[in-house]
Amino acid sequence: MGAEVDFDPHALGEDEFLDEVLSFEFWFQTVEGYLSEHPYGRPEAVVGRPLDGDANDRLVTILCNYCVAEAAALEASSGLIRIAPNHHARVFMATQVADEARHLEVFMHRLRELGVGDPEAEIERRANPEIVEFKARLLDLVDDRDWDSAVLAQNVILETMEYTVFRHHAGVADPVTAAVLEGVISDERRHLGFGENDLGRRLADDPSQRHRLEDVKHRFDALVLGVFDATFDRLGVPRDDRPTLGREYLDAVARLGIVS
Amino acid sequence: MADFLSQYSIQRWLEMAPQGYLEDTVYGHDADEEEPAELLDNDLLREESIRTTVQLVVGERCALAASSGLVNCAPDFGSKTFLATQTLDEARHVEIFTQRLYDLGVNKDDLESTLDRYANPNLVKFAEILLERVQDGDFVAGVVGQNIVLEGMAFTVFELLEATSRQANPKFAHTLSGTIADERRHVGFGENRIGSLVREQPQRKADVEQMQKEMTYYMLATFADSFSGNAAAIEETRRIGQELTADAGGEPQQAEWHGADLATASPEELEDVLAGTVLDEFKTRLGRIGLEYQSPPVPA
Repeated sequence: MGAEVDFDPHALGEDEFLDEVLSFEFWFQTVEGYLSEHPYGRPEAVVGRPLDGDANDRLVTILCNYCVAEAAALEASSGLIRIAPNHHARVFMATQVADEARHLEVFMHRLRELGVGDPEAEIERRANPEIVEFKARLLDLVDDRDWDSAVLAQNVILETMEYTVFRHHAGVADPVTAAVLEGVISDERRHLGFGENDLGRRLADDPSQRHRLEDVKHRFDALVLGVFDATFDRLGVPRDDRPTLGREYLDAVARLGIVS
Repeated sequence: MADFLSQYSIQRWLEMAPQGYLEDTVYGHDADEEEPAELLDNDLLREESIRTTVQLVVGERCALAASSGLVNCAPDFGSKTFLATQTLDEARHVEIFTQRLYDLGVNKDDLESTLDRYANPNLVKFAEILLERVQDGDFVAGVVGQNIVLEGMAFTVFELLEATSRQANPKFAHTLSGTIADERRHVGFGENRIGSLVREQPQRKADVEQMQKEMTYYMLATFADSFSGNAAAIEETRRIGQELTADAGGEPQQAEWHGADLATASPEELEDVLAGTVLDEFKTRLGRIGLEYQSPPVPA
């Protein structure tokens, strides 16, 4: 099956590739590799240590904002199922729905471990306005049944933002949070791959959509950069000391070559 | 409520389904299982199997659209999480039953036209009633329609199909076993989560019961269509089951399902016992969430 060590799906023809990769079976075999014996997203052997008050509070704020982003992806990907242009895309989106719900669940579980009694209320209280606005605009695209723009916003822009932030965070986080983030990053890579592949094919068929999608990207870029800034503002990180995540994000999206 | 929802978490789902009863399966069955050659070589049985499987794909596509649509209107993260697992379950069901159509010889390019050709119009209407409520963002009606009515029907139909396939077609029986385990979880969520919402919103009862009545009408009409004129295919399935058992050196098993002898029951008897079993399930489950079953008119 898809997750066998020597298996290279890219060696398949286009139709076979879609049958193989955009399927429940492929998802099932793939996540089995990194989620088996990982209750709430981490190996049982990884044990946490208490964080000091400030560090704990900062992590709670960060995780609350991750939860808003994951809730956005959960609601958007579930809404995209009904407007998916084909069976493969529909099944892939269903696997993404479960992935996003898992991310939300593992982050909320971590919040409880950090002493948050009511994660839903805490998320609402600590959410940055920029990420809340991002969510609203993404769901508007889904409500408008605009598949291409919504996939761009969710599977390219949001996933790239998360991928950039989570990778950076995993490098500096406590062992439990780092382990949870590693599993999430593995999923994000798959989602990003779908967005790149799906939009790439569709733009090849209809290049006239490129300008429209570039506009969508520019509108979301400003929000993404705002999310980065707001997160660091809340954490009290001086501007000169901030990692260059905004630049990394813009470079990562540009490398995809879907839109300029 | 939080304790009840913890039983429907992604973590629990991973342990129960992918890492539990689905482990080491391929498209829901053992990797070395195939459709019996006796079925594939028999035009009557092959067409009836395609017709039956098409209804399963239509039902599961409806459940996929409904469960994913309900994620957005769920009132709490726990319910959203459960519906996310259900979305993936339903996508898996769509996939494994679609794969069965390919195994039965349907060409991939002909999938949609095959669905159009064989889909029962009453089942399509049944699905439309549910999806209309989901489209309107009506969480209570959507969950009752999906997790009590649609899933209650699917659960019972799958049980009957599994019982009748055990000897003649172990591959299909095993495929159904996994879906039955999934449906049991879905029905359980519907009962647990909606009961409290119905108590909080008693003014919704009449409207939701009306939806149940309409969906039940089209369900019974689908059953009537499916069993009428089906005696020859049922007899052929029985004959092949007996032959396969004899070839394997075994004795025909006594297969009884809710009081019906599956080796001898007529299509009319099978339809009666199926409809009766589903309606009894509806009455019990609706009663548990504070709704009263509404009888539809008898389909013409």
